[in-house]
Amino acid sequence: MSLSFGGVQAIDRLDIEIRPGQVHGLIGPNGSGKTTTLNVISGYYAPKRGVIRLNGAAMSGQGLHRRAHMRIARTFQTPRIVGSASVLENVMIGGTIDGKGTFVESLLSLPRHRRDEAMLRDTAMLALAAVGLERLALVRADRLQHSELRFTEIARALMLRPAFLLLDEPAAGLSAEEIGRLGTLIQAIAQSGTGVLVVEHHPDLIFDICHHVTVLNLGKILAAGAPAEIRADREVVNAYLGA
Amino acid sequence: MDTQATPLHASRTNALGAPSSLNAALPFLALLVVGIAFPLFGGGYWGVIATRACIYWVLASGLNLVVGFGGQIAIGWVALLTLGAYTTSVLVAGNVGPPLPPYLALAIAAVVGAVFGLIVGLPALRLRTFYFAITTLGFATIVTQVALAWQSVTGGGVGVAGPVFPHPFASQWGFYYFCFGLAAICTWMTLNVAASRFGRALTAIRDAEVAAEASGISKPGLLATVFLFSGAVAAVAGGLFASLQSYITPDAFTLDLSILFFIAILIGGRGSILGPLLGTILLTVLPEFAAPLVAWSTFLYAVLLLVIVSRSPAELPRSSISRTAARSRATARSFRGPTCSSRCLARPPASAP
Repeated sequence: MSLSFGGVQAIDRLDIEIRPGQVHGLIGPNGSGKTTTLNVISGYYAPKRGVIRLNGAAMSGQGLHRRAHMRIARTFQTPRIVGSASVLENVMIGGTIDGKGTFVESLLSLPRHRRDEAMLRDTAMLALAAVGLERLALVRADRLQHSELRFTEIARALMLRPAFLLLDEPAAGLSAEEIGRLGTLIQAIAQSGTGVLVVEHHPDLIFDICHHVTVLNLGKILAAGAPAEIRADREVVNAYLGA
Repeated sequence: MDTQATPLHASRTNALGAPSSLNAALPFLALLVVGIAFPLFGGGYWGVIATRACIYWVLASGLNLVVGFGGQIAIGWVALLTLGAYTTSVLVAGNVGPPLPPYLALAIAAVVGAVFGLIVGLPALRLRTFYFAITTLGFATIVTQVALAWQSVTGGGVGVAGPVFPHPFASQWGFYYFCFGLAAICTWMTLNVAASRFGRALTAIRDAEVAAEASGISKPGLLATVFLFSGAVAAVAGGLFASLQSYITPDAFTLDLSILFFIAILIGGRGSILGPLLGTILLTVLPEFAAPLVAWSTFLYAVLLLVIVSRSPAELPRSSISRTAARSRATARSFRGPTCSSRCLARPPASAP
């Protein structure tokens, strides 16, 4: 199973592969193309050259919302949440495509609509329990703290039962203790078979949890390999870690 | 969850609590009772006003999904009221083909309304906010002009007689109950949608479009569905409106009416069913209490709009909640220990109460 692509303007001849059940870290200084890479994979931009493959089949040229049907989920650098809805409702949004009933069935509250709602509610409570927010399920989302919003987004992404999960700077704005909790959570998600791509500034988190790390600089791969190798790589240390 | 934050979470959950479904249903049940008992205390003219409020709500309930939930600024929705009124009246009068029974005509109007709701709504997929609003206004103008010019069918400026629904809905109170029943059904249906994955997906498109797309929600598909529904109920409202007026001319469908629907939803608050319902009743009844102010109605609408826009629609109904939130945030600050450093300060500013 591979997810690879190469050659976009902001990112040049980049080749990465995310494997199921593994955590793949993508680090690099500002403007090195980390988020761009993530946006290409999640379908916001089409690559100029090169392809993105899922299980060997190319998936470029397909619309943004099709990615969810391929079980590719993502979170955002700034959490995108419906503030006026409850945390539970926000998480349930993540499972929208798994509902079976039609609009008319919902209008008339027919059995399939009721089953959908019960199923989404149960799954969302499980997802919230997984990220440790089940106690806040009924709180309005705009009353959450920043870190809680980040975990809510992860819970929403988990609603897709993702084959691949793309996290865009999940540790930004979190305290050291919260980052620890995030790391444990990401590892647990990977152990369940999901391939995780973490775009991050935070080298500690990356080196702690990743099976594989790719370092970007100016849109090119500076180094790639196991965390231990990367940490020892002189070039990386000079360009990025700075110590 | 860390122990430090536990008391905070507990207090927040309690402060807001889970509104039990009974509490949420209570205002609707009260309105239902008042609506059913209305003929006992209101006579004659008040009956007309109550019927009008029901008809307006049939339209506004559908429009609420578009404006209040989907966040699409559809101002010219009177066009679909006009369309429904003329379709029903013309089919019943037999201006095209043989005269049809009123219920069949109303059903056909609903289908026509659904199709045109979709046509008016389609620009929303390409145009944002005010650009879309202007296209709906343009459509409203076109419909009125067609009604004026197509004399052989619509009677032009002279107009056409509205349909009369047969017994038991022919009498004043009979017709009132007919409209009230439809309004109640519309309330129930939109409440169902609001609590469904479609309602949540609409609010996601409104407030977090990229997240909606990343969750696999297809904006074109969802909006098209909602425009179909909204167009259908608006046209049904039109048929009822024509019957209530007993005679319709193009100048019965003014832009003021369109703005009334829109403002009723905005006053009620986005993402609510009860709010816009009360807003519709208020705006239908208010002119009756303030008859001398009718000449000022446009001015009053403008002032209302300015107040709403300057305070942001989402903020209106929850000022009290934000105040509680601010208080609990203050508590939160005292709970958080030294782990919260400059990062917490960098958090985006909370919405001011």
